[in-house]
Amino acid sequence: MSQSEAVIEIRNLSKVYRDFWGRPKVKALNALSLDIRKGEVFGLLGPNGSGKTTTMKLLLGLLFPTEGEITILGKSAADVSKNERIGYLPEESYLYRFLNAYETLDFYGRLFDMSAAERKERSEKLLDLVKLAPQARRRQLKEYSKGMTRRIGVAQALINDPDLVMLDEPTSGLDPLGNRDMKDLILDLKKQGKTVLMCSHLLADVQDVCDRIAILYGGELKVMGRVDELLKAQDETQILSSKLSDAAVKDVQEVLKKHGANVLKIDHPTANLEDLFLKTVQESRERPGHRTVIEGKSAS
Amino acid sequence: MYFDPNENLIYPLYALSNWVLTTGGLMFVVLFVSLANLLVTRGKSGVGVFFAEIRGMISDVFSISPRRIWALTRLTFMEAYRRKALAVFVVFAVMFMFAGWFMGDTQEITPDQVKVYVSFVLTSISWLTLPVVLILCCFGIPEDIRLRSIHTIVTKPARRIEIVLGRMIGVSMIGVLVLLVMGTVGYIWIVRQTPERSQKFLVCRVPQYGGIKFINRDGDEGTGVNVGDIWAFRNYIEGATKARAVWQFRNVDESVLDADGNLQLENSFSAFRSYKGDMTRSLFYDIKFYNPENGVSYTTDPQPVNEFRSKLDKIPRKLTVDDVQYDLIKDLVTKNKFLHVEIACIDREQYIGMARPDLFIRMPNRPFWVGYWKAVLGIGLIVVLVSMIGVAASTIVKGPIATVLTFVLYVLSGKNSHQFMDALMSGDFKGGGVLESIYRLVTHMNPTTDLPETPAFYVVKGFDLILTSFLWLCKQVIPRLQSFNMTEFVANGFDVPFNVSILPSLLVTTAFIIPCVMLGYFALRVRELESK
Repeated sequence: MSQSEAVIEIRNLSKVYRDFWGRPKVKALNALSLDIRKGEVFGLLGPNGSGKTTTMKLLLGLLFPTEGEITILGKSAADVSKNERIGYLPEESYLYRFLNAYETLDFYGRLFDMSAAERKERSEKLLDLVKLAPQARRRQLKEYSKGMTRRIGVAQALINDPDLVMLDEPTSGLDPLGNRDMKDLILDLKKQGKTVLMCSHLLADVQDVCDRIAILYGGELKVMGRVDELLKAQDETQILSSKLSDAAVKDVQEVLKKHGANVLKIDHPTANLEDLFLKTVQESRERPGHRTVIEGKSAS
Repeated sequence: MYFDPNENLIYPLYALSNWVLTTGGLMFVVLFVSLANLLVTRGKSGVGVFFAEIRGMISDVFSISPRRIWALTRLTFMEAYRRKALAVFVVFAVMFMFAGWFMGDTQEITPDQVKVYVSFVLTSISWLTLPVVLILCCFGIPEDIRLRSIHTIVTKPARRIEIVLGRMIGVSMIGVLVLLVMGTVGYIWIVRQTPERSQKFLVCRVPQYGGIKFINRDGDEGTGVNVGDIWAFRNYIEGATKARAVWQFRNVDESVLDADGNLQLENSFSAFRSYKGDMTRSLFYDIKFYNPENGVSYTTDPQPVNEFRSKLDKIPRKLTVDDVQYDLIKDLVTKNKFLHVEIACIDREQYIGMARPDLFIRMPNRPFWVGYWKAVLGIGLIVVLVSMIGVAASTIVKGPIATVLTFVLYVLSGKNSHQFMDALMSGDFKGGGVLESIYRLVTHMNPTTDLPETPAFYVVKGFDLILTSFLWLCKQVIPRLQSFNMTEFVANGFDVPFNVSILPSLLVTTAFIIPCVMLGYFALRVRELESK
């Protein structure tokens, strides 16, 4: 699989939730098409009800698409064998609360048909990786704090050393230190050549770790592209230099004025992901059906 | 009350064909329901999904991993243990600590009291184990779906069929463990509770039954006399006439003789007196052995009837008739190993009553524990069956509904409900089927009066036929648990026969395995596990 090869391909994916009588209730996802490439960290963003969790659950086969096609690691979403190379961290850690950390990882290891020695070795390694305190490892999960549950959730998602990791709100419930650890872990997974798909409401986290993002609103894809490109202010020029003296700054301003430039400020542009996110949501509310930019191209 | 140990006798070939029919019928029902469900929920594309799921199931069967199934089995086991389901042992312990207070404590007890002990132990075990198993099997998967724990399983390479099998095996194993512990405690309790002098009643008699026919007072084949007992389990033969009860035993050879070379014939005949006479004197009968091939016969001396209790007659192998010595096996058994035995009543105008199980050749006894553990096996098979049905039901509906559904199926699987359904389907009930009965009620028509043959008649009959067919379908889904109750054998001092009880029970249990697994697989495959 080459670097640019798609690990996940979604084509015209739609999902309609129906009531007991089969009548359409909510259109959660509408004709979504996107590719996620090998080795990238991809962020799926959107307000509540935008369809990002639905997308993830469709990818995992927990929901069935109303229309469209999904290919993950070259297989259909309904094909169970695809799960051998996938790790999944649910939004809340839906783990068995009567098991302790070792039993939890041992259980999930068995589901991957791993041998006893493999399971033991991998469990120790992962519990160290997620920094779960040794004295907590023999306690049942029902005694864990939310942060500890999140850590064991991450460990179970990585038990099989997956090629594709799907993280639903990976930093929720974590303290700032845990948050940093999680982001480091995601970046570390990227370094190992793994593909990461994550959903998050914490935009700063997404900005820190994601290569590309997609913003969904009302079940539709509104924006998709590289984070650095999407955040770039297109009608401004930023000049980065080492520290200049006041005289030098004045000279630079003169030169710029001579070339007709309106110098706004000599500083970095202030655009960030949160601004973009809110702008996209606002536009979507005001102009339903409007699409701003997809992969750097304008679309109506 | 009577006890007929041969009531459910089946032969292996018939058993096999019956198993194939039951399994096939159930599979047909499961596939039909699955297809109907897919057509309703997915429209025309449901047909394609249906065949894709069948292909998927076949493929999944070949991808089954014992390690994954064992992981899910262990999970079920740990769940039950950590959620204190095994607290049932406390109830059991308390029951047995105090049961002795209410069940007699004399130096010598009768066989009937032993029967009460054995029935109490086995019934208690069954009543304590089944509710625990029912709750565990019906709530496991629905709770996983409700709490979304199942998301972390189905997003691993665990097949749906492995989830179903893991749960079924896990719950069955818990049930079997509970049974083993309770069975052991119960056995020790029975043995310790029975006084030393009454230990002889703790036996497993091994009977060999024969077929029976009656000869009436004129020497012609008949049905025996009904002496006015409305519940005509036994028929009676009149004394000092040609009336006889004739038994024919199969496969009689040296192996049926006891260690001393005697043929042991045990009977439990009843007596009916048409006049009071001497009440301190028993009625008498004699036993005649007869070989139609060589005309040799031997008749015993008159023997007293043991009313209300069984009686053992020991017939020596070497018999002397008119100074000629005969060998019971060589001279009185036919070449095809048949032994003909005739029972006659000696007393004039008195009657001796008997039914087929009232006379049997008693083979060497087996230890009590053999029959006892066979009865526990019977409960174990019910546990397995309930686990399978419960888990399958829980993949479709929520826990409480699955519990009620499984419980109702269990209640309906008894002897009486099956007999009632058989009677309904046979059309023997007066007044016709459902619609016809309603018509008769509304029009105040006598059930014995024929309906007029108008077009409406055919509509009513046709509708009732459809309902009867539906009832037939329902009957196939309801297991027949009659043979699973092996307690009566042990309580009555008998061994549990293979062909009568163990084989049918094993067949019914295995007949439900494939359809229940299929149903569970289909239900988990076609439903969105995210949806609550």
